[in-house]
Amino acid sequence: MLTGKENLKEVLTGGNPDRFVKQFEFMQMIMSVPSCRIKPEIGGEVVNEWGVTIRWPEGQLGSFPVHDADHILLKDITEWKEYVKAPNVVFPAADWEKAIADAKAVDHDNKYVTAFIAPGLFELTHYLMGMETALMSFYEEPEAMAELIDYLTEFELAYAKELVTHLHPEIIFHHDDWGSQISTFLSPAMFEEFFLPAYKKIYGFYKDNGVELIVHHSDSYAATLVPNMIEMGIDIWQGVMTTNDIPKMIKEYGEQITFMGGVHSGIIDHPDWTKEQVEEEFARACRENGKLYFIPGACQGMGVSSFPGVYEASDEAIDKMTKEMF
Amino acid sequence: MSKIEEVKAKVEAGKSKLVPGLVQEALDAGNNPQDILDAMVESMGVVGEKFSTGEIFVPEMLIAAKAMSKGVDVLKPHLAGDGASKLGTCIIGTVAGDLHDIGKNLVSLMIESAGFDMVDLGVDVPADTFVQAIKDNDNVKIVACSGLLTSTMPALKEAVATIKASGLTGFKVIVGGAPVTPEYAVEIGADGFAPDAGTAAVKAKELAV
Repeated sequence: MLTGKENLKEVLTGGNPDRFVKQFEFMQMIMSVPSCRIKPEIGGEVVNEWGVTIRWPEGQLGSFPVHDADHILLKDITEWKEYVKAPNVVFPAADWEKAIADAKAVDHDNKYVTAFIAPGLFELTHYLMGMETALMSFYEEPEAMAELIDYLTEFELAYAKELVTHLHPEIIFHHDDWGSQISTFLSPAMFEEFFLPAYKKIYGFYKDNGVELIVHHSDSYAATLVPNMIEMGIDIWQGVMTTNDIPKMIKEYGEQITFMGGVHSGIIDHPDWTKEQVEEEFARACRENGKLYFIPGACQGMGVSSFPGVYEASDEAIDKMTKEMF
Repeated sequence: MSKIEEVKAKVEAGKSKLVPGLVQEALDAGNNPQDILDAMVESMGVVGEKFSTGEIFVPEMLIAAKAMSKGVDVLKPHLAGDGASKLGTCIIGTVAGDLHDIGKNLVSLMIESAGFDMVDLGVDVPADTFVQAIKDNDNVKIVACSGLLTSTMPALKEAVATIKASGLTGFKVIVGGAPVTPEYAVEIGADGFAPDAGTAAVKAKELAV
């Protein structure tokens, strides 16, 4: 039996895996890293490290930036220098000790030491000013948007330097949602102009400094961005939804990028979930997408489920498909 | 190219800084204000169609809607009556328990651009609030309920059921949001469904007649 890492590599390289990779099993997130990120508790509200008000109302599955007139941080993109101030990312060595110890304790045969980064550059632009304003600004004030993205990129690179210096992560698991369920937010041309160079810098820096794999989360349609994903250095696109033609993408790009997902969280992860429905969805995903360049998983951007038991039931469903297909 | 054609082209291209001036020029050239408005509505129909087919994306749709809105500001004092839409009023909101507003806002922009007066109730809207808004506003022709989460689908069902059970008439209910399917829309008793903002505007016009 292959180790977890060996098995993953066989999937990524089109070799001979001996089982399906089960969702997030190969990533050991080191969440004890010092971070500037300020998040609300469920039911709470915070002003985060950028000055953006974030609220997590009771009963919701996640937190939301608050963009009403009283709370929005950046009302005019041309004034971004006045309002957008990057938080400090340099922490004393002592603050890294716990994370370094956690990384050492990882089962290195089966799991990669993984650093988690969120939100990404695109998400930050709309966190700061609201989605509609951000999207219109790409057209109406492209120079200011480009400047802001450069600034956010430098912030990410500054933290990347700290991460590789102290933690030596093997995987970067990076969130940035680039689309809705049916479309990308930006046209591929606009995405390429504004985000490809920025992400080439960020992911290139990680790869030049010992990171083996880049796993990027975007639970959306983004098939038209796959060539850009490959160029910027993404090894695994996590969160790939079935609104993308996954078998076609595997055929076309599989040797350059692996697709992780294929099961919509909304379909299996709800209050009335059933083991049968989970098994049915994973059976479909595994049969449709095959053993290579594909990692079955729900589209959720972390190795958890919103409703207790769904993540574990998903693992069991994947084990069942391993027995059937390997 | 006539002034009206220019207005149409610039709305479609989202030139919000140019459209107000062009609308004024079209008025100065003696064009009927209603014809200018109809031309802009037609442009937004093209924009919605291009969005639905994936030819353009959200930013292009947003800047076109903004350009039209700037043009309408110039046009309003010249329109007959109180400037109220001939298509009627559309009440829109995201259902109870759901805080997602991006899709709902896009639908609102496109339905407004199609010629409706919009009453946006925001997010996390209880079913009774939809009913109250129908009572409080004149000439309501469309009620649009949005829901993004699978877990808030029961709230969408409740909203439609409550609106239908209110005894109020004269309007149609449309639903949409990522997990909503045409079959689900029928199942919960909605009059219409749209998979995206462009189609929602077309559907609203179709049902309001």
